[in-house]
Amino acid sequence: MEQQRLDAFQVIADPSRRQILYLLSKDSLTINSLAENFDMSRPAVSKHIKVLQNSGFISIQDIGRERYCSLQQDGFNELQKWLEYYDAFWAAKLQKLGTLLNNKNKKK
Amino acid sequence: MAKIIQHQIFYPNPAADVWDYLTDPELMKQWLMPTDFKPVLGHKFTFTAKPMADFDFDGIFHCKVLEVVPFKKLSYSWDFGPGNGFLNRSEVHWTLTEKDNGTDLLLIHRGAEGSEMLPIFDAMDKGWLGNINKINKLLNPETDGTAKA
Repeated sequence: MEQQRLDAFQVIADPSRRQILYLLSKDSLTINSLAENFDMSRPAVSKHIKVLQNSGFISIQDIGRERYCSLQQDGFNELQKWLEYYDAFWAAKLQKLGTLLNNKNKKK
Repeated sequence: MAKIIQHQIFYPNPAADVWDYLTDPELMKQWLMPTDFKPVLGHKFTFTAKPMADFDFDGIFHCKVLEVVPFKKLSYSWDFGPGNGFLNRSEVHWTLTEKDNGTDLLLIHRGAEGSEMLPIFDAMDKGWLGNINKINKLLNPETDGTAKA
């Protein structure tokens, strides 16, 4: 199956994938028990799980005969590093804008 | 941890002055970045910045004007990536509110697919660590509980 590369924002833009992350935020779950929470087919759930795994949001581990999904930090780091970067970026830019506007007032 | 980028700042200037600094490329360059922005709906433009290899960022923000309400509102898309065609998609929204003695400027910067995506962070933040501990315990039952450091 062809796997389209999605950015971190696109990965969590899908409501089903957000729901999977939400369920996993409470507990690690098997693919089967995750699928029970959805009306869609198990292959459809598996596809979402694959996307989440490829983008580093979850990891899958075989324990006995079950496949357990759990949250993984990599995917969230990608989002978080940009959020932190832009937060500082805009704070600095807006301060600079304030200085320029202030100078403009003084010239009047 | 920030869930959405939001800054609100008061400037002791009329909204028209703040608007000029948000929309005139000559003025934008002075505080933001060099750009070929035009306050025209649908106009495609770029901001140029310093490339950051460790961020997979090639130094170009690809933007398109999404909303223009003179002196009140301005929105544009804000896409960025490593330069191989892959782009992270986000949006920047400016709201100006004129007050008696100045202007409130509100900036919201968020992912492109809507505002509801970021609250998931809260749950994630608390959840992921606990779950990694749990899976470790399942994988390594001999270290579970009784072993004390």
